[in-house]
Amino acid sequence: MSCRELERLWDAGATLPETRAHQAGCAECGRAGDVLAQTVSALHALRAPAFSPTLRQSLLDIPRRTVSCEGAEPLMAAALEGDGSLSAADDARLQSHLSRCEACTETAKTLFHLRELSAPAPPPWLATRLSAVRPEKKRPAWRALFSGRAVVVYAYAAACVVMLLGLNPTALPTKTGFARLSQSTRSAVTVAQNSVGDRLGALQEKAFRMVAVWKGHVGGYGRAAVSNAIAIVWRPEPKKTPNRPRLGKEGSSAGIGDYRLVMSETPQDRAVDGAREHFPARFRV
Amino acid sequence: MATIGTDEKDLVARCRQGDDDAWRELVDRFGPKVYAISYHFTLKREDAEELSQEIFLKLFENLHRYDGGFPLVAWVLSVSRNLCIDRYRRKKREKSFRFVSDEAVTALLKSEDDPAGMALKKERTQLLFAALSEIPDDLAEILILRDLNGLAYDEIGTALELPEGTVKSRLFRARAEVARKIRERHEKRTAGSAFASLAMVAGGLV
Repeated sequence: MSCRELERLWDAGATLPETRAHQAGCAECGRAGDVLAQTVSALHALRAPAFSPTLRQSLLDIPRRTVSCEGAEPLMAAALEGDGSLSAADDARLQSHLSRCEACTETAKTLFHLRELSAPAPPPWLATRLSAVRPEKKRPAWRALFSGRAVVVYAYAAACVVMLLGLNPTALPTKTGFARLSQSTRSAVTVAQNSVGDRLGALQEKAFRMVAVWKGHVGGYGRAAVSNAIAIVWRPEPKKTPNRPRLGKEGSSAGIGDYRLVMSETPQDRAVDGAREHFPARFRV
Repeated sequence: MATIGTDEKDLVARCRQGDDDAWRELVDRFGPKVYAISYHFTLKREDAEELSQEIFLKLFENLHRYDGGFPLVAWVLSVSRNLCIDRYRRKKREKSFRFVSDEAVTALLKSEDDPAGMALKKERTQLLFAALSEIPDDLAEILILRDLNGLAYDEIGTALELPEGTVKSRLFRARAEVARKIRERHEKRTAGSAFASLAMVAGGLV
């Protein structure tokens, strides 16, 4: 057909003069361009087909013939109710929609599947358990008179009555002869208490003494053992005696009677020697 | 002042609420265009009307899917595209396009007093649609939408989910292919008539 340059120019958004310039130079593209122009003009010359009023009316009636996906939901709910709440017209709209919409059809099938479900069979033990359950008996009202709370109330009420009547409860034993009995009982208790206290004190003292003796034993042996252990584990190196001037065996030219300091090579000794020079002369060796 | 997008979104929202006036507005705004597209894909009035109804039923049932993100016409086109293409392929399988009727072509031509001129135009239009039926579907689709229905490149691109450059490129190839098919047919006719003339001459000589 053409050399495809025309297509390239057209894709690149070339202007009409640029396209014509190429067509003028290329015979193939020139012919193709002419046919193309005629085709396009023929297509553009065609008019749109008439939109009939009947079709328009039919399209306007669509909302009365069908329902949208979201409009189908309440209709499906009404249909599920099944008591005639869905009118014939709505049912027709719903069916029309379901015939075209796969998703809504599946939804409707799933919903209507609810009706096909049977009731589950009860377990065999359920009847027995249910019959064993009995309602709790109601307590009679008079039992409340003997409850713990009621006894407390009675005690407070009695105390109030006694105080209001002017009675002194502390003077009651004296009046009734119980005071003497109370006195003798109290002295007997005191004697018993003292006796028991003395014995307990003696026992306690003896125990303290024994503890002190054992504590001393344990402390002495313990300390000795610990110090021995430390002595075994940690053996300090024997102390070096400080370097003193000797007869110069190490020196090469030291002769008898020639005293000179022999410097040790350890850092510690060097420090000692350095310090020594600062000493006053009378302290030097 | 409301923008076009807001206006279209509002229109769709009112349709969803069952507003008859809004639905009428939608039908009047897009009905003729949808019918024209349907007609160009089917080339038969009854089929086009049936297809238009199918498209509007689908539009009505899917109104909740329009989110106002692009022009309503592109959405209408995208909803109707599969239906149109399905019908178009069926027609092609039936080879209905090879025999485009006079009636189908007449609906697309402006009436003319000159019968000879009218006949020529009919013939050309029939040839045009016959050539269109011979090119691949993806090219024919774009040519129908652009050259026969005057849709903008961006509208076609949105509806077909194609970049604008691809739409332009395909359109050029579609036009070129149609042009080639038409030229081939002309050449065949010319050759056929030349052969017939030669045969007649030869017959006269014998």
